[in-house]
Amino acid sequence: MDALTGHLGEFGHGLVTTVHMTVVTTIGALLLGVIVATLRICPVPLLRGVGTVYVEVLQNLPLLALLVLFVFALPTIGITFPLFTSAAIVISAYEGAYLAEAIRAGINTVGVGQAEAARAIGLTFSQSLRYVILPQGLRAVIQPMGTICIALLMNTSLAAAVGVVELTQAANNVNLVEAQPIAVFTGAGLAYMLLALLISRITGALERRFAIVR
Amino acid sequence: MSILSRNVTRRRALTIAATAVTVALAATGCGDGGSAPALPGAAGGDKAAQSVFDAAPVASDAEIPAGSTMDKIRKRGYLTVGGSLDAPLLSQQNPVTGEIEGFDADMAKLLAKYIIGKPEVKTVTIGTQTREAMLQAKEVDAVFQTYTITPQRATQVAFAGPYLTSGLAVAVRKDETSIKSVKDLAGKTVIVGANTPAVTALPEAAPGSKQVAFATDPQAVQALLQKRGDAYVQDFTLLASNAKSNPGMKVVGEPFTTEAYGIGLNHEDTEFKEFVNNWLRKIQADGTWAKVWQNTLGSVVEGGTPTPPAIGSVEGS
Repeated sequence: MDALTGHLGEFGHGLVTTVHMTVVTTIGALLLGVIVATLRICPVPLLRGVGTVYVEVLQNLPLLALLVLFVFALPTIGITFPLFTSAAIVISAYEGAYLAEAIRAGINTVGVGQAEAARAIGLTFSQSLRYVILPQGLRAVIQPMGTICIALLMNTSLAAAVGVVELTQAANNVNLVEAQPIAVFTGAGLAYMLLALLISRITGALERRFAIVR
Repeated sequence: MSILSRNVTRRRALTIAATAVTVALAATGCGDGGSAPALPGAAGGDKAAQSVFDAAPVASDAEIPAGSTMDKIRKRGYLTVGGSLDAPLLSQQNPVTGEIEGFDADMAKLLAKYIIGKPEVKTVTIGTQTREAMLQAKEVDAVFQTYTITPQRATQVAFAGPYLTSGLAVAVRKDETSIKSVKDLAGKTVIVGANTPAVTALPEAAPGSKQVAFATDPQAVQALLQKRGDAYVQDFTLLASNAKSNPGMKVVGEPFTTEAYGIGLNHEDTEFKEFVNNWLRKIQADGTWAKVWQNTLGSVVEGGTPTPPAIGSVEGS
């Protein structure tokens, strides 16, 4: 236990970085998810293609490979982002692809009649999306989106590989001094579990608040 | 018009993406290339290593009582060792032969030869986080992985040795002139290897320095060359071999710490620890240790072969 209590400062710093990263990345991934899902259902074939390529490429590459490529390959063509920013961009882009698929599934639950009715009263594509389709589609997939956010939280630990000192890296550093892997990583694991629980409570509350009774 | 402009942007986007991927592949290629030539001992080193194994001592039956760990290893026919595959000059797998080469790997083979009569080693790659657990669960017989002896670790595992001492040193880019030793690192951004002794030693040696940790040594070198930090603090021998294969970096000053590496063993097995210590004394005395050093680390470190460390000379061993 001393291994944990003696290093609360390090763990605290790591935890704050993990939470910071999770919040920033979730916002980025949600924005990207909505945009890419919209691309995939829009009437222009080219844009649909772009959406499909985005999802297929990012879903089918391992996140760690993307992180390492982004951090070490971009500087060779003269683009260098700070490490935290790099990790946040890559994880947002990666999880954005998963969220886009969840959101697209939500959109597909909205009846065709809704879209037709929206068109019939003279709404444009973006208006019908904004006022009719997305509000209903998003409500249908709050739970799966929450699950993806939990996966996102776990995936932030990969940022440790590219020099971001978040919770996992903090645990590694403490373990290096204390050599108590079981205590140290159980502690870090519990922290992740609490954060994941928090996310699932929030999504639960959101779902109860917004669910549509059909 | 809009369709046309979209087409153009798309094509441009594709070109940019293609360039990025090409560059990325080239960069990773460089990364591998950077670590692969760090095996100057490899050419002809095989034969040298083989002759060392052939001449190495084998334990007498009297030293291996029935039922002991040594006896079990001898009956099994191979020694299970926890180690790495990516540490140049210490324990790195040769992509051509598949053999694991380096100082740690050769020492493990010599221990196997001493117990079994032939250098049969099964290497299990383990992370620095799992070494204690692997030894406690007896998943491996011994850990040869630049395992620094510390009093905290010694409460959970037994250390034979030290069998090698080294130290942390500072490497910078070739054009860097303001950093001449570890003292000049205050206020600088310093790259370290994640889970290496540098993580804890740096704040003491250079207060006020900012740390960035990367998972592997080739990544850390790449990060230094890409100016993600002003210096890279790592084991002296590793830096020396990196500097040899990367003209863009150099090692400055002398090592500023002393790391004593031990052979990690099960904490309860005092008989095996005594046996391994006796073996270390034997190969140090007959010159085998010096030959292994010359074949591996000696190929990049200037100056003669160092005196092997005295067994049990470090707190925790």
